[in-house]
Amino acid sequence: MTTDAVKQPRGLMALANPTRFLAFVQIVLPYLSLTALALLAVGLWMAFSVPDDYQQGRTVRIMFVHVPSVWMAMSAYMVMVSGALGVLVWRHPLADVAARAAAPIGAAFTFLGLATGSIWGRPMWGTWWEWDARLTSFLVLLIIYLGLIALWHAIEEPAKSARMAAVVVMVGALNIPIIRFSVEWFTTLHQGPSVVRSGGPALAPEFLYPLLVMGLAFLLVFLTLHLMAMRNEILRRQIRTLQRKAARDHRTGNSK
Amino acid sequence: MTALFGTKYFGFILSAYGITAAVLIVLTVWIFTTHTRRKQQLAKLEEAGLKRASRSNG
Repeated sequence: MTTDAVKQPRGLMALANPTRFLAFVQIVLPYLSLTALALLAVGLWMAFSVPDDYQQGRTVRIMFVHVPSVWMAMSAYMVMVSGALGVLVWRHPLADVAARAAAPIGAAFTFLGLATGSIWGRPMWGTWWEWDARLTSFLVLLIIYLGLIALWHAIEEPAKSARMAAVVVMVGALNIPIIRFSVEWFTTLHQGPSVVRSGGPALAPEFLYPLLVMGLAFLLVFLTLHLMAMRNEILRRQIRTLQRKAARDHRTGNSK
Repeated sequence: MTALFGTKYFGFILSAYGITAAVLIVLTVWIFTTHTRRKQQLAKLEEAGLKRASRSNG
């Protein structure tokens, strides 16, 4: 048996190598971003073609940006949970890259969920904000995101920051079911689930289909931004490695 | 498409879509400019003779 016969990882496992991952991103990104833009255009057209809701009137259109933002805020956190598991169980550096890259994007979608919800709440509930279980637990999600971003920036040593952040991500994950079920466990101003619920969606098809298209468009936007952010994080680590190498060479008097 | 301009809640709908567009555009531009900046940094370091592990043996 020659050394060439050493088994190379295939499929998704091959992407666990940063160099192969960067090559994969280079190929996938143009298709992914163009599909996201096209789907976003279709979703927006559908969102502005719906009839007025019998209760909410024209403000029902805010749902098509509010609900997908909330879905992505929580999905981004689940990506971070997967990354945290990858760090704690397999200690794979790309898992930390995935978790770290998802944090600012998740924070942005969480902010959008809060902002669009507040804008929607004013005409419908008569208030911009209420300290009820759903709104408060969602605000806590934004605070967790910001805390994690600060933690990643505060600790210089990559392996240590990855492990500490992974633990915080896992603890913070307790907030996800609280957000999801807060409208069932507590009396809240926020309405109950109307898409993912037992007995099927409560929304009429003319509102459900545009919402699903916008949801898919937001998912593709998230995936595009996440891949771009992961690529940036890999480059940051490569720069850091080379800068350290340069500093080491400088100390030992080695020119290369 | 239902006419929205001048309706009672037009300002709320415009604000919700406007803030969504603004945040997503700022996020995309930030990620894109970070990529450009890091590629330039990496190129400078490689010009200075420093090689990444994945390239040094190729």
